[in-house]
Amino acid sequence: MSGPEDTGPDVQRDDPMIAAEWALGLLEGEELLAARGKYATDPAFAWRKEWWDDWFAPLSDAMPGAEPGEHVWDGIAARIAAPQVPAQDPAAPAANVIELQAKVRRWQWVAAISSMAAAVALALFLTSPISRPVAPPVQVAAAAPMVATVPIGETGLRLDVTYIPDSQRMVVGAVGLKTDGVHDHELWLVPADGSALQSLGVVAPGEVRSMELPQAVTAKLGDGASLVLTREPIGGKPAGKDAGPVVAKGAFTRV
Amino acid sequence: MAARPRPTSDEAREALQSAMARLADGDQSALEEIYRATRVKLFGITLRILGDRKEAEDALQDVYVNLWQRADRYDPSRASPIAWLAAFARNRAIDRLRTGKVRAGAVPVEEAAPLPDQTPLADALLVDAEQTAQIHKCLGALDARTQGHIRAAFFEGKTYAQLAEAADVPLGTMKSWIRRGLQRLRACLEASEKA
Repeated sequence: MSGPEDTGPDVQRDDPMIAAEWALGLLEGEELLAARGKYATDPAFAWRKEWWDDWFAPLSDAMPGAEPGEHVWDGIAARIAAPQVPAQDPAAPAANVIELQAKVRRWQWVAAISSMAAAVALALFLTSPISRPVAPPVQVAAAAPMVATVPIGETGLRLDVTYIPDSQRMVVGAVGLKTDGVHDHELWLVPADGSALQSLGVVAPGEVRSMELPQAVTAKLGDGASLVLTREPIGGKPAGKDAGPVVAKGAFTRV
Repeated sequence: MAARPRPTSDEAREALQSAMARLADGDQSALEEIYRATRVKLFGITLRILGDRKEAEDALQDVYVNLWQRADRYDPSRASPIAWLAAFARNRAIDRLRTGKVRAGAVPVEEAAPLPDQTPLADALLVDAEQTAQIHKCLGALDARTQGHIRAAFFEGKTYAQLAEAADVPLGTMKSWIRRGLQRLRACLEASEKA
Protein backbone atom coordinates (compact mmCIF):
# COMPACT_ATOMS: atom_id res chain seq x y z
CA MET A 1 0.00 0.00 0.00
CA SER A 2 2.80 2.40 0.80
CA GLY A 3 4.00 4.74 -1.90
CA PRO A 4 7.61 5.55 -2.68
CA GLU A 5 7.56 8.84 -0.82
CA ASP A 6 6.74 7.24 2.49
CA THR A 7 9.17 7.53 5.29
CA GLY A 8 8.97 5.73 8.57
CA PRO A 9 6.67 2.91 9.56
CA ASP A 10 2.99 3.00 8.73
CA VAL A 11 0.74 4.18 11.50
CA GLN A 12 -1.37 1.44 12.98
CA ARG A 13 -4.99 1.97 12.01
CA ASP A 14 -6.64 1.20 15.32
CA ASP A 15 -10.06 2.39 16.48
CA PRO A 16 -8.87 5.79 17.74
CA MET A 17 -7.32 6.41 14.33
CA ILE A 18 -10.56 5.45 12.57
CA ALA A 19 -12.40 7.84 14.90
CA ALA A 20 -10.00 10.61 13.86
CA GLU A 21 -10.45 9.83 10.18
CA TRP A 22 -14.21 9.88 10.61
CA ALA A 23 -14.22 13.15 12.54
CA LEU A 24 -12.16 14.72 9.79
CA GLY A 25 -14.69 13.42 7.26
CA LEU A 26 -12.37 11.10 5.36
CA LEU A 27 -14.40 7.94 5.60
CA GLU A 28 -16.85 6.89 2.92
CA GLY A 29 -18.85 3.88 1.85
CA GLU A 30 -18.75 0.80 4.01
CA GLU A 31 -16.08 2.20 6.30
CA LEU A 32 -18.33 5.14 7.11
CA LEU A 33 -21.28 2.89 7.81
CA ALA A 34 -19.20 0.57 9.95
CA ALA A 35 -17.91 3.54 11.94
CA ARG A 36 -21.48 4.69 12.56
CA GLY A 37 -22.39 1.27 13.81
CA LYS A 38 -19.40 1.19 16.09
CA TYR A 39 -20.24 4.65 17.40
CA ALA A 40 -23.60 3.42 18.59
CA THR A 41 -22.29 0.32 20.29
CA ASP A 42 -18.77 1.09 21.48
CA PRO A 43 -18.52 3.85 24.13
CA ALA A 44 -14.74 4.14 23.86
CA PHE A 45 -14.99 4.66 20.13
CA ALA A 46 -17.84 7.16 20.53
CA TRP A 47 -15.85 9.05 23.15
CA ARG A 48 -12.84 9.30 20.86
CA LYS A 49 -14.94 10.45 17.91
CA GLU A 50 -16.44 13.23 20.02
CA TRP A 51 -13.02 14.09 21.38
CA TRP A 52 -11.86 14.75 17.83
CA ASP A 53 -15.09 16.59 16.98
CA ASP A 54 -14.54 18.90 19.95
CA TRP A 55 -10.96 19.59 18.97
CA PHE A 56 -11.71 20.16 15.30
CA ALA A 57 -14.75 22.37 16.00
CA PRO A 58 -12.82 25.64 16.44
CA LEU A 59 -11.51 25.30 12.91
CA SER A 60 -15.03 26.02 11.67
CA ASP A 61 -14.68 29.56 12.99
CA ALA A 62 -12.66 30.18 9.84
CA MET A 63 -15.66 29.34 7.67
CA PRO A 64 -17.52 32.54 6.84
CA GLY A 65 -21.09 32.70 8.04
CA ALA A 66 -23.96 32.89 5.57
CA GLU A 67 -27.64 33.73 5.82
CA PRO A 68 -29.99 30.93 4.80
CA GLY A 69 -33.26 31.69 3.02
CA GLU A 70 -36.26 32.52 5.17
CA HIS A 71 -38.09 29.41 4.02
CA VAL A 72 -35.58 27.27 5.91
CA TRP A 73 -37.07 28.10 9.28
CA ASP A 74 -40.59 27.65 7.90
CA GLY A 75 -39.61 24.19 6.77
CA ILE A 76 -38.14 23.32 10.16
CA ALA A 77 -41.20 24.64 11.98
CA ALA A 78 -43.51 22.64 9.72
CA ARG A 79 -41.52 19.46 10.19
CA ILE A 80 -41.45 19.63 13.97
CA ALA A 81 -45.07 20.77 14.27
CA ALA A 82 -46.63 18.13 12.05
CA PRO A 83 -44.83 14.83 12.23
CA GLN A 84 -45.78 12.79 9.21
CA VAL A 85 -46.10 9.12 8.63
CA PRO A 86 -43.63 7.90 6.04
CA ALA A 87 -45.28 7.63 2.66
CA GLN A 88 -45.05 3.86 2.37
CA ASP A 89 -48.25 1.97 2.85
CA PRO A 90 -47.64 -0.51 5.67
CA ALA A 91 -49.72 -3.12 3.90
CA ALA A 92 -47.56 -3.75 0.86
CA PRO A 93 -49.51 -4.80 -2.20
CA ALA A 94 -49.43 -8.52 -2.84
CA ALA A 95 -47.94 -7.95 -6.26
CA ASN A 96 -44.86 -6.45 -4.66
CA VAL A 97 -44.43 -9.48 -2.46
CA ILE A 98 -44.62 -11.83 -5.41
CA GLU A 99 -42.15 -9.70 -7.31
CA LEU A 100 -39.88 -9.68 -4.31
CA GLN A 101 -40.03 -13.44 -3.96
CA ALA A 102 -39.07 -13.81 -7.57
CA LYS A 103 -36.17 -11.45 -7.20
CA VAL A 104 -34.68 -12.29 -3.88
CA ARG A 105 -33.78 -15.70 -2.56
CA ARG A 106 -35.30 -16.71 0.76
CA TRP A 107 -36.76 -13.36 1.67
CA GLN A 108 -40.01 -14.64 3.01
CA TRP A 109 -40.47 -16.64 6.15
CA VAL A 110 -44.18 -17.06 6.43
CA ALA A 111 -45.01 -20.72 6.75
CA ALA A 112 -44.93 -22.79 9.88
CA ILE A 113 -41.51 -22.77 11.40
CA SER A 114 -39.83 -25.40 13.51
CA SER A 115 -41.09 -25.76 17.03
CA MET A 116 -38.07 -24.33 18.81
CA ALA A 117 -37.74 -21.32 16.54
CA ALA A 118 -41.48 -20.83 16.71
CA ALA A 119 -41.44 -20.78 20.48
CA VAL A 120 -38.62 -18.29 20.59
CA ALA A 121 -40.09 -16.16 17.85
CA LEU A 122 -43.44 -16.16 19.62
CA ALA A 123 -41.75 -15.02 22.81
CA LEU A 124 -40.09 -12.28 20.84
CA PHE A 125 -43.40 -11.13 19.46
CA LEU A 126 -44.98 -11.13 22.88
CA THR A 127 -42.22 -9.08 24.42
CA SER A 128 -41.63 -6.76 21.49
CA PRO A 129 -43.03 -3.22 21.42
CA ILE A 130 -45.80 -4.17 19.01
CA SER A 131 -48.01 -5.25 21.88
CA ARG A 132 -47.79 -1.81 23.45
CA PRO A 133 -49.73 1.27 22.41
CA VAL A 134 -48.09 2.67 19.33
CA ALA A 135 -46.71 6.18 19.67
CA PRO A 136 -47.29 8.51 16.74
CA PRO A 137 -44.45 8.05 14.31
CA VAL A 138 -41.96 10.86 14.21
CA GLN A 139 -40.57 11.95 10.92
CA VAL A 140 -36.85 11.49 11.13
CA ALA A 141 -34.34 13.75 9.46
CA ALA A 142 -33.08 12.33 6.23
CA ALA A 143 -29.81 10.80 7.26
CA ALA A 144 -30.62 9.54 10.76
CA PRO A 145 -29.24 6.02 10.79
CA MET A 146 -30.60 3.06 12.72
CA VAL A 147 -28.40 0.66 14.57
CA ALA A 148 -28.83 -2.63 16.32
CA THR A 149 -26.53 -4.72 18.43
CA VAL A 150 -27.13 -8.44 18.50
CA PRO A 151 -25.18 -10.04 21.34
CA ILE A 152 -24.35 -13.71 20.78
CA GLY A 153 -25.23 -15.50 23.97
CA GLU A 154 -22.62 -15.24 26.69
CA THR A 155 -19.72 -15.17 24.25
CA GLY A 156 -19.15 -11.43 24.42
CA LEU A 157 -19.35 -11.47 20.64
CA ARG A 158 -21.96 -9.51 18.81
CA LEU A 159 -23.24 -8.37 15.47
CA ASP A 160 -23.27 -4.68 14.74
CA VAL A 161 -25.98 -3.74 12.28
CA THR A 162 -26.32 -0.27 10.84
CA TYR A 163 -28.95 0.92 8.42
CA ILE A 164 -28.81 4.27 6.64
CA PRO A 165 -32.24 5.25 5.31
CA ASP A 166 -30.79 7.62 2.72
CA SER A 167 -28.69 5.02 1.02
CA GLN A 168 -31.00 2.06 1.71
CA ARG A 169 -27.88 0.18 2.65
CA MET A 170 -27.34 -2.00 5.64
CA VAL A 171 -23.97 -2.90 7.09
CA VAL A 172 -23.60 -6.06 9.11
CA GLY A 173 -20.41 -6.37 11.09
CA ALA A 174 -19.59 -9.81 12.44
CA VAL A 175 -16.06 -9.09 13.53
CA GLY A 176 -14.77 -11.70 15.95
CA LEU A 177 -17.26 -14.34 14.90
CA LYS A 178 -15.77 -17.60 13.66
CA THR A 179 -17.40 -20.26 11.57
CA ASP A 180 -17.64 -23.78 12.99
CA GLY A 181 -17.55 -25.20 9.48
CA VAL A 182 -20.94 -26.87 9.93
CA HIS A 183 -23.33 -23.98 10.37
CA ASP A 184 -24.08 -20.57 8.99
CA HIS A 185 -26.07 -17.91 10.79
CA GLU A 186 -28.87 -16.12 9.05
CA LEU A 187 -30.13 -12.71 10.06
CA TRP A 188 -33.84 -11.89 9.94
CA LEU A 189 -35.72 -8.64 10.20
CA VAL A 190 -38.72 -8.74 12.55
CA PRO A 191 -40.95 -5.85 11.40
CA ALA A 192 -42.64 -3.86 14.12
CA ASP A 193 -46.02 -4.26 12.43
CA GLY A 194 -46.03 -8.00 13.05
CA SER A 195 -45.73 -8.92 9.40
CA ALA A 196 -43.61 -11.78 8.12
CA LEU A 197 -39.95 -11.99 9.00
CA GLN A 198 -37.61 -11.09 6.20
CA SER A 199 -34.22 -12.63 5.65
CA LEU A 200 -31.32 -10.25 5.59
CA GLY A 201 -29.04 -13.01 4.44
CA VAL A 202 -26.31 -15.17 5.87
CA VAL A 203 -23.84 -13.48 8.17
CA ALA A 204 -20.22 -13.54 7.06
CA PRO A 205 -18.11 -14.41 10.13
CA GLY A 206 -15.24 -12.05 10.79
CA GLU A 207 -16.33 -9.58 8.15
CA VAL A 208 -18.13 -6.31 7.74
CA ARG A 209 -20.52 -6.59 4.84
CA SER A 210 -22.72 -4.03 3.21
CA MET A 211 -25.89 -4.80 1.30
CA GLU A 212 -28.50 -2.82 -0.51
CA LEU A 213 -31.99 -3.54 0.73
CA PRO A 214 -35.05 -3.73 -1.51
CA GLN A 215 -37.63 -1.05 -0.85
CA ALA A 216 -40.13 -3.65 0.36
CA VAL A 217 -37.72 -4.49 3.16
CA THR A 218 -36.73 -0.95 4.04
CA ALA A 219 -40.41 -0.06 4.34
CA LYS A 220 -40.53 -2.46 7.30
CA LEU A 221 -37.46 -1.02 8.89
CA GLY A 222 -39.13 1.48 11.17
CA ASP A 223 -38.91 2.13 14.87
CA GLY A 224 -39.50 -0.99 16.88
CA ALA A 225 -38.15 -3.32 14.22
CA SER A 226 -35.90 -5.97 15.65
CA LEU A 227 -33.56 -8.69 14.48
CA VAL A 228 -33.15 -12.37 15.18
CA LEU A 229 -30.27 -14.62 14.27
CA THR A 230 -30.91 -18.28 13.48
CA ARG A 231 -28.51 -21.20 13.15
CA GLU A 232 -28.76 -22.79 9.74
CA PRO A 233 -26.93 -25.30 7.58
CA ILE A 234 -24.07 -23.87 5.53
CA GLY A 235 -25.56 -21.54 2.95
CA GLY A 236 -28.53 -20.50 5.03
CA LYS A 237 -32.04 -21.80 5.50
CA PRO A 238 -32.76 -24.28 2.70
CA ALA A 239 -35.75 -23.32 0.55
CA GLY A 240 -38.85 -25.11 1.69
CA LYS A 241 -37.36 -26.07 5.07
CA ASP A 242 -38.08 -24.52 8.43
CA ALA A 243 -35.71 -21.96 9.83
CA GLY A 244 -33.23 -23.11 12.47
CA PRO A 245 -33.21 -22.15 16.16
CA VAL A 246 -32.98 -18.51 17.15
CA VAL A 247 -29.59 -17.96 18.78
CA ALA A 248 -29.61 -14.20 19.29
CA LYS A 249 -31.78 -11.14 18.99
CA GLY A 250 -31.53 -7.37 19.04
CA ALA A 251 -33.58 -4.24 18.40
CA PHE A 252 -33.03 -1.18 16.26
CA THR A 253 -32.61 2.27 17.72
CA ARG A 254 -32.02 5.61 16.04
CA VAL A 255 -28.56 7.06 16.37
CA MET B 1 -11.46 38.39 13.10
CA ALA B 2 -9.75 39.12 16.37
CA ALA B 3 -10.18 42.84 15.79
CA ARG B 4 -13.95 42.66 15.79
CA PRO B 5 -15.64 43.49 19.06
CA ARG B 6 -17.30 40.58 20.77
CA PRO B 7 -18.78 42.14 23.87
CA THR B 8 -21.68 39.74 24.22
CA SER B 9 -19.72 36.52 23.93
CA ASP B 10 -20.39 35.19 27.41
CA GLU B 11 -24.02 36.27 27.38
CA ALA B 12 -24.59 34.72 23.99
CA ARG B 13 -23.03 31.48 25.12
CA GLU B 14 -25.08 31.38 28.29
CA ALA B 15 -28.26 32.16 26.38
CA LEU B 16 -27.51 29.35 23.97
CA GLN B 17 -26.64 26.97 26.77
CA SER B 18 -29.93 27.68 28.50
CA ALA B 19 -31.87 27.34 25.26
CA MET B 20 -30.26 23.94 24.69
CA ALA B 21 -31.30 22.88 28.18
CA ARG B 22 -34.88 24.03 27.57
CA LEU B 23 -34.88 22.20 24.26
CA ALA B 24 -33.87 19.00 26.02
CA ASP B 25 -36.89 19.53 28.27
CA GLY B 26 -39.13 19.63 25.22
CA ASP B 27 -39.59 23.40 24.95
CA GLN B 28 -40.25 23.94 21.26
CA SER B 29 -39.76 27.71 21.43
CA ALA B 30 -36.15 27.07 22.42
CA LEU B 31 -35.50 25.65 18.98
CA GLU B 32 -36.37 28.92 17.28
CA GLU B 33 -34.13 30.79 19.67
CA ILE B 34 -31.27 28.42 18.90
CA TYR B 35 -31.97 28.74 15.20
CA ARG B 36 -31.91 32.54 15.31
CA ALA B 37 -28.64 32.53 17.21
CA THR B 38 -26.76 29.88 15.25
CA ARG B 39 -28.18 29.71 11.72
CA VAL B 40 -25.59 32.01 10.15
CA LYS B 41 -22.66 30.06 11.53
CA LEU B 42 -24.14 26.65 10.82
CA PHE B 43 -25.31 27.61 7.33
CA GLY B 44 -21.82 28.90 6.65
CA ILE B 45 -20.57 25.41 7.50
CA THR B 46 -23.07 23.40 5.46
CA LEU B 47 -22.65 25.77 2.52
CA ARG B 48 -18.90 25.53 2.67
CA ILE B 49 -18.95 21.74 2.71
CA LEU B 50 -21.76 21.16 0.22
CA GLY B 51 -21.09 24.06 -2.11
CA ASP B 52 -24.71 24.28 -3.17
CA ARG B 53 -27.21 26.60 -1.60
CA LYS B 54 -30.21 24.35 -1.92
CA GLU B 55 -28.37 21.32 -0.56
CA ALA B 56 -26.87 23.39 2.23
CA GLU B 57 -30.32 24.67 3.20
CA ASP B 58 -31.72 21.14 3.19
CA ALA B 59 -28.83 20.00 5.36
CA LEU B 60 -29.44 22.92 7.69
CA GLN B 61 -33.09 21.93 8.06
CA ASP B 62 -32.03 18.38 8.89
CA VAL B 63 -29.64 19.70 11.51
CA TYR B 64 -32.33 21.57 13.43
CA VAL B 65 -35.07 18.98 12.99
CA ASN B 66 -32.65 16.34 14.20
CA LEU B 67 -31.62 18.56 17.07
CA TRP B 68 -35.24 18.84 18.10
CA GLN B 69 -35.79 15.11 17.94
CA ARG B 70 -32.65 14.25 19.84
CA ALA B 71 -31.90 17.24 22.01
CA ASP B 72 -30.81 14.91 24.79
CA ARG B 73 -27.74 14.01 22.77
CA TYR B 74 -26.02 17.24 23.69
CA ASP B 75 -23.96 16.84 26.83
CA PRO B 76 -23.24 20.27 28.35
CA SER B 77 -20.20 18.93 30.17
CA ARG B 78 -18.43 17.99 26.95
CA ALA B 79 -18.09 21.09 24.82
CA SER B 80 -19.52 24.53 24.35
CA PRO B 81 -22.90 24.34 22.65
CA ILE B 82 -21.71 26.19 19.56
CA ALA B 83 -18.72 23.87 19.18
CA TRP B 84 -21.02 20.90 19.44
CA LEU B 85 -23.53 22.38 17.00
CA ALA B 86 -20.76 23.28 14.56
CA ALA B 87 -19.46 19.72 14.62
CA PHE B 88 -23.02 18.42 14.29
CA ALA B 89 -23.71 20.61 11.25
CA ARG B 90 -20.45 19.70 9.59
CA ASN B 91 -21.02 16.00 10.22
CA ARG B 92 -24.49 16.24 8.68
CA ALA B 93 -23.14 18.06 5.65
CA ILE B 94 -20.38 15.47 5.21
CA ASP B 95 -22.98 12.69 5.52
CA ARG B 96 -24.85 14.28 2.67
CA LEU B 97 -21.72 14.46 0.56
CA ARG B 98 -20.94 10.83 1.25
CA THR B 99 -24.38 9.40 0.64
CA GLY B 100 -24.10 10.50 -2.95
CA LYS B 101 -26.85 13.08 -2.91
CA VAL B 102 -24.51 15.83 -3.88
CA ARG B 103 -22.17 15.64 -6.82
CA ALA B 104 -20.65 19.06 -6.67
CA GLY B 105 -18.53 19.11 -3.54
CA ALA B 106 -17.23 22.16 -1.79
CA VAL B 107 -16.86 25.55 -3.40
CA PRO B 108 -13.93 27.90 -2.98
CA VAL B 109 -14.31 30.36 -0.14
CA GLU B 110 -14.95 33.39 -2.31
CA GLU B 111 -18.06 31.83 -3.86
CA ALA B 112 -19.59 30.94 -0.53
CA ALA B 113 -21.49 34.20 -0.05
CA PRO B 114 -19.89 35.38 3.15
CA LEU B 115 -21.62 37.79 5.47
CA PRO B 116 -18.77 39.83 6.84
CA ASP B 117 -20.93 42.28 8.75
CA GLN B 118 -24.16 42.33 10.70
CA THR B 119 -24.05 38.62 11.30
CA PRO B 120 -26.33 38.20 14.28
CA LEU B 121 -24.38 36.63 17.11
CA ALA B 122 -22.20 34.74 14.69
CA ASP B 123 -19.05 36.35 15.96
CA ALA B 124 -20.14 36.20 19.55
CA LEU B 125 -20.54 32.48 19.19
CA LEU B 126 -17.00 31.60 18.38
CA VAL B 127 -15.69 28.47 19.95
CA ASP B 128 -13.60 28.68 23.09
CA ALA B 129 -10.53 30.84 22.46
CA GLU B 130 -8.05 28.70 24.34
CA GLN B 131 -9.13 25.58 22.54
CA THR B 132 -8.97 27.43 19.24
CA ALA B 133 -5.40 28.52 19.88
CA GLN B 134 -4.37 24.98 20.80
CA ILE B 135 -5.72 23.21 17.73
CA HIS B 136 -4.10 25.83 15.50
CA LYS B 137 -0.83 25.45 17.34
CA CYS B 138 -0.86 21.66 17.06
CA LEU B 139 -1.88 21.78 13.40
CA GLY B 140 0.81 24.35 12.77
CA ALA B 141 3.42 22.00 14.22
CA LEU B 142 2.79 19.50 11.41
CA ASP B 143 4.77 19.73 8.21
CA ALA B 144 3.15 22.05 5.69
CA ARG B 145 2.15 19.30 3.30
CA THR B 146 0.34 17.19 5.89
CA GLN B 147 -1.26 20.26 7.40
CA GLY B 148 -2.55 21.28 3.98
CA HIS B 149 -4.16 17.92 3.38
CA ILE B 150 -5.79 17.80 6.81
CA ARG B 151 -7.16 21.30 6.29
CA ALA B 152 -8.49 20.37 2.86
CA ALA B 153 -10.27 17.40 4.41
CA PHE B 154 -11.80 19.58 7.10
CA PHE B 155 -12.75 22.63 5.06
CA GLU B 156 -13.63 21.05 1.74
CA GLY B 157 -14.88 17.66 2.85
CA LYS B 158 -12.34 15.81 0.70
CA THR B 159 -11.92 12.05 0.92
CA TYR B 160 -8.61 10.22 0.90
CA ALA B 161 -9.15 9.39 -2.75
CA GLN B 162 -9.83 13.01 -3.71
CA LEU B 163 -6.83 14.24 -1.76
CA ALA B 164 -4.59 11.62 -3.36
CA GLU B 165 -5.81 12.55 -6.81
CA ALA B 166 -5.34 16.26 -6.21
CA ALA B 167 -1.81 15.68 -4.94
CA ASP B 168 -1.11 13.08 -7.65
CA VAL B 169 0.13 10.46 -5.21
CA PRO B 170 -0.99 6.87 -4.62
CA LEU B 171 -3.92 6.46 -2.27
CA GLY B 172 -1.81 4.50 0.20
CA THR B 173 0.70 7.31 0.35
CA MET B 174 -1.96 9.89 1.15
CA LYS B 175 -3.39 7.63 3.86
CA SER B 176 0.04 7.21 5.43
CA TRP B 177 0.70 10.94 5.40
CA ILE B 178 -2.59 11.85 6.97
CA ARG B 179 -2.55 9.06 9.54
CA ARG B 180 0.91 10.03 10.67
CA GLY B 181 -0.30 13.62 10.87
CA LEU B 182 -3.35 12.65 12.88
CA GLN B 183 -1.21 10.62 15.22
CA ARG B 184 1.08 13.57 15.86
CA LEU B 185 -1.91 15.88 16.19
CA ARG B 186 -3.44 13.63 18.80
CA ALA B 187 -0.20 13.48 20.78
CA CYS B 188 0.09 17.27 20.72
CA LEU B 189 -3.55 17.82 21.77
CA GLU B 190 -3.32 15.23 24.53
CA ALA B 191 -0.16 16.84 25.84
CA SER B 192 -2.01 20.16 26.02
CA GLU B 193 -4.84 18.52 27.96
CA LYS B 194 -2.41 17.23 30.57
CA ALA B 195 -0.64 20.55 30.91
